[in-house]
Amino acid sequence: MNDHDLANILMVDDQPGKLMSYEAILGTLGENLIKARSAREALDHLLRNDIAVVLMDVSMPEIDGFELAEMMRQHPRFQKTAIIFISAVHLTDVDRIKGYRSGAVDYISVPVIPELLRAKVSVFAELHRKNRQLERLNSELEKRVEERTAQLRENEDLLRERADLLELATEAIIVRDMNGSILYWNSGAEALYGWRREEILGKPVHEVLQTRFPAEFNAIQAELHQTGQWEGNLTQITCDGHEVVVACRKALKADGNAILEINRDITAQLKTEEALRKTERLAAMGRVAGIIAHEINNPLEAITNTFYLLRDHPSLDDEARYYAKLGEEELLRVAHITRQTLGFYRESRHPVPISISGLLDEILELQMRRMEFSNITLEKHYRNTGTIQGFPVELKQVFLNLIGNAAQAMPEGGTLRLHVFESQGRRSRTGAVCISICDTGTGIAPDNAKHLFEPFFTTKSTKGTGLGLWISKGIVQKYGGSIRFRSLSRAGRNVTCFQVTLPDVDLQKIKEPAFASMTVPAEDMAGDSDDQ
Amino acid sequence: MTNDCITILVVDDENVPRMLRCLILQKQGYKIVAADSGKRALQLLAEGGIDLVLSDQMMPSMTGTELTRAIKAIRPAMPVILISGVNEIPADANCADRFISKVGGPDLLFETVGEVLAAYGHTL
Repeated sequence: MNDHDLANILMVDDQPGKLMSYEAILGTLGENLIKARSAREALDHLLRNDIAVVLMDVSMPEIDGFELAEMMRQHPRFQKTAIIFISAVHLTDVDRIKGYRSGAVDYISVPVIPELLRAKVSVFAELHRKNRQLERLNSELEKRVEERTAQLRENEDLLRERADLLELATEAIIVRDMNGSILYWNSGAEALYGWRREEILGKPVHEVLQTRFPAEFNAIQAELHQTGQWEGNLTQITCDGHEVVVACRKALKADGNAILEINRDITAQLKTEEALRKTERLAAMGRVAGIIAHEINNPLEAITNTFYLLRDHPSLDDEARYYAKLGEEELLRVAHITRQTLGFYRESRHPVPISISGLLDEILELQMRRMEFSNITLEKHYRNTGTIQGFPVELKQVFLNLIGNAAQAMPEGGTLRLHVFESQGRRSRTGAVCISICDTGTGIAPDNAKHLFEPFFTTKSTKGTGLGLWISKGIVQKYGGSIRFRSLSRAGRNVTCFQVTLPDVDLQKIKEPAFASMTVPAEDMAGDSDDQ
Repeated sequence: MTNDCITILVVDDENVPRMLRCLILQKQGYKIVAADSGKRALQLLAEGGIDLVLSDQMMPSMTGTELTRAIKAIRPAMPVILISGVNEIPADANCADRFISKVGGPDLLFETVGEVLAAYGHTL
């Protein structure tokens, strides 16, 4: 038994002899004995020490045993402290009851039988010790519970924070089990694919998203199991039927029974890159065209001028003049093609009068061979020339797109109808030119209709940049005009019409070309009117 | 034709194209003075008697637009037409009265010369 476990036994008696005899009796218990000569002294000890049991004489001067017991019971700290009364005088039943009422736990009468006293004190000391141990254990337990609770709360906060962070991610974060069933679906996935979490949890991910893999599925699975991860681009279908390309990173969970997929939408990025590649190709073509232009146009001018001089030279006879005429005519064809392809591509700085019907004819000439090849019949209904102020390159771009699209929509042949007419605007002073381009081709699916004028939207998966109609709309809007379309299907025949309305606006309003840096090969600059 | 009172200074570093351009303009009745560089053109211009300058754009020591700015600095009322075989219009092309393509053919050239002269008050 070590010192810590010794119980304090307080002995209170006004007679030192009695105290000494108690000390002798209890000495063999090996507990810590404290002596007090009065109730006051006893209280002092009680306050300073943790007392297991108080052994007190009932009859003492000033404050007797019962009064001391009463005082102790009023103090919360001592309410449960064991008290053994020793009395030689008040040995009556009344006194006993009085003693117990005051909270005493035992009563020993004089003469004190040493064994009895030892036994009682020992029981209380042991009881106290047990109580103390229990209290210590309790408080320790409480402390541990508190610590553990704090730890759990911290973990919970951390988890919640992590879950919130996952929700913040714009990437689609998906966890699926080994059968492909979705276990987790963050809001990034909801935004990317359009499927709500509650709709898709538990469903087979790659079936719902109609995933197309860049490699054999088994090869991907094998790599995933071997290295724990896999990266690649997937093509998937969203809830509303759109195709998206995602950069996918898969990781196998350590226990091997779940797969984490983080998918980033790179559809727009891929399209931008593709458009950029095309632009770069165009720019490179432009540079090459510039060099060729210089080398061809210079001698071409000289030859043209030569034939001009030769045309009615007095020294030539009829036969020579006939040959010169043939040469000049052939040369015109060369000059024409160079003008179309190697002529100025930069726009003039000021708007000029443009005949829309003339512009359409120029475009048709470029498209003629393709249209003949595709067996397309052309119907032109030009009610008038439709002249407006503008920049030829821009307007050519608009109608080249619309006519090109119409021709491409009719690979099996059909009819291309062009209408040009002038209409009077609501404000009496301004007129407008209306141009409609109708084809009997494949038509426009209702799903595609709403995206038609969006950048990078294309139905010609590899052939189109998806910029044509977007640019066209921008140009038309700059002229204060509008571009609308209708696609009708009746009895298995489709008719798709695009109508462009260009108001004849004030010259000053259009000061700059819409896309000044556009490198589209086009006709000569303003003032070249030789083939109208 | 009443063009014979008009003198055009034709500038081009390449001999054959310059000669042919001179000839077709002569055939239209214009009087022609020729120069093989911008520097020579400025000398001839200083001697007087020139009504219009028709210059090539791409020349080695002084480009058409450089020549135009030099002319306009000393003779703001001297009409200048630039002619180019390249398919790119230089950014400062509008310092000249007109900038035309060589592949426009003789008719475009005559028309442009006529329009510019008219704009400067030369009645034909």
